[in-house]
Amino acid sequence: MADKILKKEKLGALIESVTGKGGRFVAPTTDAHQVVFKKIKSADEVAGDYILARNSFKEFLFPQTEVVAEFTMGKDSVDMRGVEVHAPQTVVFGARPCEAASLAGMRALFTWDFVDEFYTKREENTVVVTVGCTKGDDACFCTTVNLSPESTEGADVYLREAGDSYTVKVISEKGKKFLEAHAAVFGEGKAKEDALFMPEKIKEVDLAKVSARLKDKGHYDDPVWAKLTRKCIGCGACTFVCPTCRCFDMVDEGTAFEGERRKNWDSCQYDTFTLHASGHNPREHQHQRWRNRFMCKFHFYPEKFSSKGCVGCGRCIRVCPVRLDITEVMVEFSK
Amino acid sequence: MNNIYLPNLVTIEDIYEEAPDVRSFRLVFKDPKLRDTFEFKTGQFGLYSAFGLGESTFCIASSPTRKGYIQCTFRKTGRVTGGLAQLSIGDTMGFRGPYGNHFPVDDWKGKNIVFIAGGIGLPPVRSVIWNVLDRREDFGNITIVYGAKTVADLVYKEELRHWEERGDVTLVQTVDPGGQTPDWKGSVGFVPTVLKEAAPKAENSVAVTCGPPIMIKFVLNTLLELGFDEGSVYTTLENRMKCGVGKCGRCNVGDVYVCKEGPVYTAAEIKKMYNDF
Repeated sequence: MADKILKKEKLGALIESVTGKGGRFVAPTTDAHQVVFKKIKSADEVAGDYILARNSFKEFLFPQTEVVAEFTMGKDSVDMRGVEVHAPQTVVFGARPCEAASLAGMRALFTWDFVDEFYTKREENTVVVTVGCTKGDDACFCTTVNLSPESTEGADVYLREAGDSYTVKVISEKGKKFLEAHAAVFGEGKAKEDALFMPEKIKEVDLAKVSARLKDKGHYDDPVWAKLTRKCIGCGACTFVCPTCRCFDMVDEGTAFEGERRKNWDSCQYDTFTLHASGHNPREHQHQRWRNRFMCKFHFYPEKFSSKGCVGCGRCIRVCPVRLDITEVMVEFSK
Repeated sequence: MNNIYLPNLVTIEDIYEEAPDVRSFRLVFKDPKLRDTFEFKTGQFGLYSAFGLGESTFCIASSPTRKGYIQCTFRKTGRVTGGLAQLSIGDTMGFRGPYGNHFPVDDWKGKNIVFIAGGIGLPPVRSVIWNVLDRREDFGNITIVYGAKTVADLVYKEELRHWEERGDVTLVQTVDPGGQTPDWKGSVGFVPTVLKEAAPKAENSVAVTCGPPIMIKFVLNTLLELGFDEGSVYTTLENRMKCGVGKCGRCNVGDVYVCKEGPVYTAAEIKKMYNDF
């Protein structure tokens, strides 16, 4: 196949081609002085200069809130109806290679014996177009978790900035179909690719050691957890911006006569998350909840689902109001 | 679309007041086909919904040897259980399940069985008790050690009387110090202590326990002191759950998801787990 390129001036045509077929086009855009993933309609909405969006694009596969069932109370019974998943054809444009790598773990979790079609159907209808990073900041640590701006895990199409164009690499079957469906927009040819931003690998982190230490149950009651995470205020912001965090709550909303059951984002950082009816709480203290989050990323995901629980995007570091840096904990557990 | 979060509708056929704020529902599926085909194994759990309020997780407290209905027992504590407590006979609620693993009762044929339960930890154990009693001839001696905070807090009072009266079960009942009434004839003391005094023999025996986490921890130690084999001691962990199917992320004890890999574990398995329940 000849080398493909996408002229940046053709982005508008690509958006029209996608939305014209009824699809939604999601891209980083500036909203209230922040770059966020949002559904957009035209090319001038697409943020040009960004490191990565503040939110991850997971909300387009796993919405903050979604209805899974509806019910109406009758005189003698209840009418309960399952809700069909709303899974529009979606293109996520401008995702970074790090966050796309979160999809394998998400899928493994949502298909673990019981298939959550609210997730899988949306994911199946989504084309992820990543763009290799030409910029970064000191929160980026993808290279420390064995990813890089050149990684293509989870992407369907991988783009590289190349002056007034992108070079285009098809990664998946879905990506191939995407290019075919919008063939008119893509051109053929070569372009000189801009240099990538390669975050420096944190030398003090040894993932094998982190994993080995987490596997050894001796660390569990180690005072180092409380010491490292004492400043955590339990706001949960890290979990909401994280592309691999996917914990949720199930709640009913409505009146005494009708209502709906919703699946809402939740966070393992909240004290009520694991609180028993009896008042007993297996993760009563904030450092225990922090420990759970860290173990989920560096032990449970790799062990259970052979996938990455942390992709090094650094969102949790940027958003944290007390600047609790997960890489500092990784360093500690590499000792 | 296959919707894993969609409950089945059940009708409350009967309600039993077990203790202050604790009640049992006898439930039948509204769908007659499901009523005939529904199967579960002893130790499995479900999610019960009060529509408009949400879902709560309880074990199935009845035995699979009793067909055509399921029973759950719960304490009125929060929003959902408060809503369930307001329902009456004939009302509709939701049920999803059965989920999780089970007690391998079929492997215990010919063995003595010791049941140890505390408070509202008796319901999951009750499913095993009736499973075993409904085919009594398959098993050896049966001992039940059950305790609660106070005499009033003992659940399944009628069944306790029945187990006491039938000659083929040894029942030891206890209440915490201060929880006894003037006419209380059972023991006074905490379950692990009373278990130690009762000293059921460990040889060719299986033990099943459930209760508050702190009780479980002490009971497991006591059983090991009595000579029980770690692989023959079973418990069920009733962690908070929202989905029941390994997605929502809160029932895990370290890397073990109670809803998918439990709730039933042997003491040997518990020992390997993180100290997080």
